[in-house]
Amino acid sequence: MDLKNAIVRARRGLREERRLYVVAVTSLAVAFICLGATLLGVTNLDAAATRWGQSGRITVFLKDGADAQDVAQLGVVLEGLADVQEVTHITPSQARNSFLEEADVGADLSALPPDVFPASLEITLVSGVTRERSESIASRLAEFRAVSDVESYGAWFQKLDQLLWGARMLAVSLALLVMFCVVAVIGNTIRLAVARRRQEIEVMKLCGATNGFVRGPFVLEGMFQGFASALLAVLALLVGYLVLHEPVDSTLAALTGSRVVFLGAWTLVALLVGGALIGAIGSAVSVRRYLSV
Amino acid sequence: MQETKVVRPFPFFRAGARASQPQLSKPILVLEDVYKFFRPDQPTLRGVDLKVERGEFVFITGPSGAGKSTLLKLVYRELTVDEGRVLFCGRDICRLTDKSIPFLRRNLGVVFQDFRIIDHWTVYENVAVALEIVSMPKRLIRSRVAEALERVGLAGRGPELITNLSGGEQQRVAVARAIVPEPALILADEPTGNLDPHLAIDILTLFEEINATGTTVLFATHDHSLISKRDHRLISIDEGRVLESQQGLKHWPGSGIHTMTG
Ligand SMILES: Nc1ncnc2c1ncn2[C@@H]1O[C@H](COP(=O)(O)OP(=O)(O)OP(=O)(O)O)[C@@H](O)[C@H]1O
Ligand SMILES: [Mg+2]
Repeated sequence: MDLKNAIVRARRGLREERRLYVVAVTSLAVAFICLGATLLGVTNLDAAATRWGQSGRITVFLKDGADAQDVAQLGVVLEGLADVQEVTHITPSQARNSFLEEADVGADLSALPPDVFPASLEITLVSGVTRERSESIASRLAEFRAVSDVESYGAWFQKLDQLLWGARMLAVSLALLVMFCVVAVIGNTIRLAVARRRQEIEVMKLCGATNGFVRGPFVLEGMFQGFASALLAVLALLVGYLVLHEPVDSTLAALTGSRVVFLGAWTLVALLVGGALIGAIGSAVSVRRYLSV
Repeated sequence: MQETKVVRPFPFFRAGARASQPQLSKPILVLEDVYKFFRPDQPTLRGVDLKVERGEFVFITGPSGAGKSTLLKLVYRELTVDEGRVLFCGRDICRLTDKSIPFLRRNLGVVFQDFRIIDHWTVYENVAVALEIVSMPKRLIRSRVAEALERVGLAGRGPELITNLSGGEQQRVAVARAIVPEPALILADEPTGNLDPHLAIDILTLFEEINATGTTVLFATHDHSLISKRDHRLISIDEGRVLESQQGLKHWPGSGIHTMTG
């Protein structure tokens, strides 16, 4: 196939079918924005989960009447572990104070006696410790005599994982839906374009044009539409991100200690290349069906 | 029945291939006992035998619905024969695969009654398309299109839009498109049907000029005023058969063509 000629013809087709294609590209851009926004959500959730997951923490609650010697022994064992970065002993009154500070509730709670709060050991793990490892450390700690309870936040992470899984599934189903939309919409516009250019196609075939020569421009036009829709969506998302990330960051960072991130380079490439590819496939299918040469 | 056979495309009908000497000495077009059915009981063409030599100018005539267009369509493979053979340059084109049909058509120029040119293209673009499909370099296309336009009397009119042209000029554009690849055979299906008698003669003369340079021309028409003015070989089709194959209307036997066309 003569690519240069196909490009020239495709450009002419795009110019002549401008209105038809603008409608297609706009509607597909909306579909791509939905997909991109979901991907943006997944990316951010994933980034947050990774960050929290790696900044491993274990809280060991001590029994009320725990023997001071047992507690000291526990401290020595913990300091000996390679995975442990820091151990902080929190007394009931410290716990009470920090609770009152953070909770920001009314004065009636300040009457709480310190012994409502158990003494605890706040363990910070070195970064990069996997969740399985922190779970196994937690279960070993639970066997110590002075320990009443160990919180390794496993259940919390499980919930986050479920949320992440749900978001990923949503993204995958949206991606499939968008793919279908692109194939359907571009297929349809190309069908219209083929019908409008019936005369030209007939002339070219009469002069001895091969199937590839006749079909090539249409496939390129579909490819361009897919790419343009994806690009438009990415640009719209980028604008949205640039406008919103400052205010969101200031609130989110205070809340969770994480910042909003934009789609990764590979995701962007996948969106654009995928858009172009699916567009090409959509028009190729359509041209095969409606352009019996 | 012929279509079911899988035959490799003839190299002759591939891009860049040239006809060999034995091929050049053969008649350019031979129809052998050709049948074409649109309805099973009533063949449109029944047992047509025809031989056209290289460089001939042939009128094909016959009443409306006789099968003139059908015959030409068999040659440029818009249609396939149901029985018999169509030999172009000695090759049976009925056995061509779909993939090689374009290469057959590059050896043919076809002109129609309704011009079949693209209204929103310029004159140049309409002619150039016949060369663009073979991926000819732009510079070569430009010079050959200019040459073809000059031959049909439209020198320098390349940039004009088709909508600004008269009917006769539009048909000249169609002729230019047909001759620009320098085909061996031109098929004209009532090319003067939409033109007034004066213009019809002009177009006929144009085809004769093309014929004078060695191109074979099959000229289908039922305009007898046109046929009677010239002394070319005349093939008449009626009820699906080649009735007479004569040397011009002047030699037509008996009461003349009018009894035939009714
Ligand atoms: N695709 C087709 N399907 C069915 N019948 C057809 C088809 N093409 C042609 N015919 C029939 O074949 C016969 C011959 O048609 P054709 O077009 O070859 O006639 P023609 O000699 O060119 O007539 P005209 O002078 O009016 O152009 C007609 O009866 C027509 O109805
Ligand atoms: Mg006809």
